[in-house]
Parts: sequence; C-alpha cells; structure tokens
Amino acid sequence: MSLFAVEIEKTYRRWRTYIGFAVILAAVLLLEVIIKLDEPQMAHAFSGGLNADFLISGHILNAWVITAFIMNSLYIHVPFLVALVAGDMVSSEATSGTLRFMLIRPPSRAKIITAKFLAMIFYTASLIAFFGILCVGIGLVFFGGGDLVKFQPGLPHIVVLPAHIAASRTGMAFLAAILSMSVVGSLAFLFSTLVDNSIGPIIGSIAVVIISFILGNLPFEFTESLRPYLFTTYMGIWQLLLDNPIEWPIVGKYALALIGFDAVFFGIAYYVFVRKDIKS
Amino acid sequence: MSETILMTEGLSKRFGSRWAVKDLNLDVRAGEIFGFLGPNGAGKSTTIRMILTLLLPTSGNVKIFGKEVRGHRVEILSRVCGIVEKPDFYLFLSAHKNLELLGSLSRKVTRDEIYEALEIVGLKARAGDKVKTFSHGMKQRLGIAQAILTRPDLVILDEPTSGLDPQGMKEVRELVLKLSREHGTTIFLSSHLLTEVEAVAQRMAVLNHGELIAQGAVSELLSNGSSYFTISATPMDKALAILRRVSWVEVVAEGNGIDVRIDSRRAAELNRLLVTSGIDISAFAAKRTLEDYFLKITEGASEV
Ligand SMILES: Nc1ncnc2c1ncn2[C@@H]1O[C@H](COP(=O)(O)OP(=O)(O)OP(=O)(O)O)[C@@H](O)[C@H]1O
Ligand SMILES: [Mg+2]
Repeated sequence: MSLFAVEIEKTYRRWRTYIGFAVILAAVLLLEVIIKLDEPQMAHAFSGGLNADFLISGHILNAWVITAFIMNSLYIHVPFLVALVAGDMVSSEATSGTLRFMLIRPPSRAKIITAKFLAMIFYTASLIAFFGILCVGIGLVFFGGGDLVKFQPGLPHIVVLPAHIAASRTGMAFLAAILSMSVVGSLAFLFSTLVDNSIGPIIGSIAVVIISFILGNLPFEFTESLRPYLFTTYMGIWQLLLDNPIEWPIVGKYALALIGFDAVFFGIAYYVFVRKDIKS
Repeated sequence: MSETILMTEGLSKRFGSRWAVKDLNLDVRAGEIFGFLGPNGAGKSTTIRMILTLLLPTSGNVKIFGKEVRGHRVEILSRVCGIVEKPDFYLFLSAHKNLELLGSLSRKVTRDEIYEALEIVGLKARAGDKVKTFSHGMKQRLGIAQAILTRPDLVILDEPTSGLDPQGMKEVRELVLKLSREHGTTIFLSSHLLTEVEAVAQRMAVLNHGELIAQGAVSELLSNGSSYFTISATPMDKALAILRRVSWVEVVAEGNGIDVRIDSRRAAELNRLLVTSGIDISAFAAKRTLEDYFLKITEGASEV
C-alpha cells in the first residue's frame, strides 16, 4: 500500500471527515427546497424584473443559476469545513501518539508529510466536488436546465451563458474552487505541523481567513495596498470562470497566486516537519 | 564476543538547559536481550527516541548494523522496530487495520502475518475490534505485535510491562524470551524494574540522570564488591553491638532484622562469629543483589 493510500484510508475512516459532507448536504438541500417552495417569487427576485427585456431559454431559475447562487452564499463557510480536516492531518497523530509509530518506520518524513498533504488536497477536492455535484444534481431534479444568468455589480450587469456551455463553465468554476480552497487547507495543514493539538490549527486558519477577508475588503489606501498579498483576494477565482468571455490572463494570474500560496504553506510545513523533534 | 548491533557514540540530548541524556555510549550485541535500566526520568525514552530518529541528538550518533541511522534510514529501519513510550494506536480502527497500516510502512504485510503477530500476543480473537475498546494491557500487547510484525532483527521495547498486572508482566517477559530464543531477535528492553531486567537480560546498561552508570553482563555487574544481607538474631541488641564492632561490617538498617553490608565472601565468617558469640541466628539471608546494586548506584548518583 502506498503512503498516499494509507493516508487516504485513515482520513476516510474517521467521522470527522464526513462532517463537512453532511453539512454541505444539509445546507444545499435546505436552500434548494426553500427556493423550490417559493419558486415564482424567487424567480422574480432573481431576475430583478428584467426578464421581459431578455430572451432567456429554459426557466429563469434553473440548476446552473441556483448552483451559482448557492456557491456564492456558502463559499465563505466552506473554509471551515476544509480546515476541520486539514488542521487535524498532522496534529491528530501527534495528539494520539501514532506519529511515533509512523516515524520509526523506513519512509522518510519528507515522504510522509507529502503523502499527508496530498491526502488533504484529495479531501478538499472531494468535498468541493461533492458540493458541486449535489448543487447541480438537486438543481436539475428540482428546476431543470437552462441558461446561466448571472447578475453582477460591474459591467455588464447581466451575463448570460447559454445552456450548452453552462455545464462546462460550472464544472470549471468548481475546479477553480478546489484550487482556492486548497490554500485554506494548506494553511491549516501548516498550522497542524506546528502544534500538537487540532483546535489550534482549525481556529487559527479560520481566523487568518476571516481577518484577511476583512482586510481585503476595507476601503483604505493601506489595506488596498495589502490586497495582492492576501490569499483571500484570489479565492473568488471561480467567479471569473462564469464570466463571458473568460478573461484568461486574470484567471491565470489568480491561479498562479493560489498555487504560489499552496507551495509556500506546504514548503514551510515540510521544512518544519522534517526537522521537528517528535516529543508527543 | 558477538558482533555489536546497536551502538551509540557520545549520544546526548539537551532540552532547554537540561541534559536529558549525556554522553551515552551503549553497545548492544547481536542476539542478546539488553536491559536498559533506569528510574523514572532517567532518559530511557529520550535515548530510544534518538535511536529511532524521533529526536535529533544534540550531539553524538547512533549506529545500527554498523551504519549511521541518519543516511541509511530505509535500510536500517526496515530491520528495526519497537514501541516508544506508551502504545498508541488509531483508536477508530481495528487492531487488524492498525497493524496493516503501520506494517505497510515497512513493507508489504500479508493477512497471515498480521494474524500470526496477533496470535503471538494473544489478541487474535479481538483482531476485528476497534482499539478504542482495548484495555491498557491489550494495547501494550498490540504494541508488541506491531513491533514484531515485520520480523525485525532488532526490537526496541520501551517499558513494555508498564501498567500491566503481574500476570501480564509475566506474559510479556515470556514473550520477550521466546522471541529471543526462537527467532534470534536482538531485544533492547528499557525498564525501571530490576527484577524484570534480571529475569530476561544477559547484558544491561544502567542510566541515571541521563548518564551511563554501568554497562556489562548482568551476572558480572552483580558479583562485584559487597552485598547486603538481612540477619535475624536474638538477642538483637547484643548482636547489633557485636556487628558494630566488626570493622568490615557496615550496619545499614535495623528493624525486624538487621541489614548489613559486607563482602559477600565473608558471609559465612560473620555467621560463625555471631554464633560463637552466643547469638541465635534464625535467618541470614542475602538481599536481592541486583536491586541493591541498582538502589546503591542510583542513590549514589543522585547525591552528586
Ligand atoms: N519534550 C521534553 N521537553 C523537555 N524535557 C523533556 C522532554 N522529554 C523528556 N524530558 C526530560 O528528559 C528527562 C528524561 O525523560 P525520559 O522520558 O527520557 O525519561 P524515562 O527514563 O523514559 O522515564 P520514565 O521511566 O518515566 O519513562 C526528564 O527529566 C524529562 O523531564
Ligand atoms: Mg520513558
């Protein structure tokens, strides 16, 4: 069995891992049911009374629109679910003492920390994929397909993605979301190598996410100058993939920034873990 | 003299300003059971952590099978296993799964090998149960099962009998002896119990306050110098008076009996002296020498 397989097996045999899935299941289901129950009114609210001016095929409220809406509203909460597992990846083994049993065996610490990191990325990806599939799946059952109509603050105010590309764009948006959530995971993972308890890394990484969201949204010159250095600035990357046309240079820049943060956080975690005295 | 399997050279570890282990030179030979004796806090676990790469030594190095562990990690550690401190497992997994996952880090382990290891420690019937449901003694045995699972040439056990009841301690000792006898496994066993080391080990090292106090064959370490005896005599006061007068007798304690320290070769002579002085001797018994030895050296060291 490869080290990665060992880590995957340990991760998915824990209750904690399924908390995220359960929360997402409950939240998505709840939102979609509420929207469904009040469909006509919601449709009106969504379109802002503009549907008379546009030719929109299918329902105004369809799986793609609903998915984008739910993603928008839940996006800020998902980091917590990622951190819940990522922040526990190394520290739980320190707490439980099993790290001692792992690290006296032949595989190097470098390999073990890498396997753990990849398992964390895998978990993040599985959680976001579940989120996406669930939104779209329930959405299709409840509301059917149609054009992805997106209202946004900037110009143009309304973006219409025709039904035939809505699915692939939504898929791309979720892939981008995996990348952006992996940064939260990497941060929690880094904290997890620094301490021997799991509460610290979870709270710590969420605190960093919240503070950096706040900093990034303050309208002051100083905080605006900080923006490029905050990873939260780039976490909205998924929305760029629902633009028409997609501004690839910006998407590329965001993606590179996110990968850079991943690399830095993992790099520090690696450096720390390989040299760490195992005292637990 | 058989080949040295584990050697530490000037091994030291400092935590803050305190030396947990200082300038330790151990020499463990092939095929033997090596007792690593020391009271609580002596530095046994710290030493074992350094040997097994969990802690980076402040100075010194560890050689196993003639090579430095750092630099030959895979080669060496695939032939070594053990328990460090208390046996901790993935509580949410079964005993079988724990062994499968941990064992697979060393090499591919088969189902049969896992069951065999569990059988040896008497946990086969509980293979499918979550470790969460195990008692401390069962975890301790599972610890030994994971240590021997991949049939290592060197097994390092850190106080494997701690927290066990007398029956459990006896079983673990028998297991250690069996491993050594049947598989020729070299066993490095730390303990704070002299009786334990005496019962199983051929050679030992005694550690106190992080420093090596003695190392050698258990039998040799026992036979050096004076020994303790307990004498039950009547009348007591007269016997005491005589004993105090003899220059080569040191009275260490008096109570129900009188504890004396003498050169063990003069025991018969002392007995004769008391009897010819009209003292009735109801008992003249050597105290447990290894225990005295241990107490003596550790007490001696703690005065420094
Ligand atoms: N992580 C640590 N930080 C600071 N000091 C430590 C640490 N680990 C151990 N020590 C100190 O090192 C010394 C040796 O501890 P160690 O655990 O090696 O002793 P031991 O011989 O295994 O004792 P025991 O029989 O209680 O298990 C002790 O004084 C202990 O306080
Ligand atoms: Mg100890």
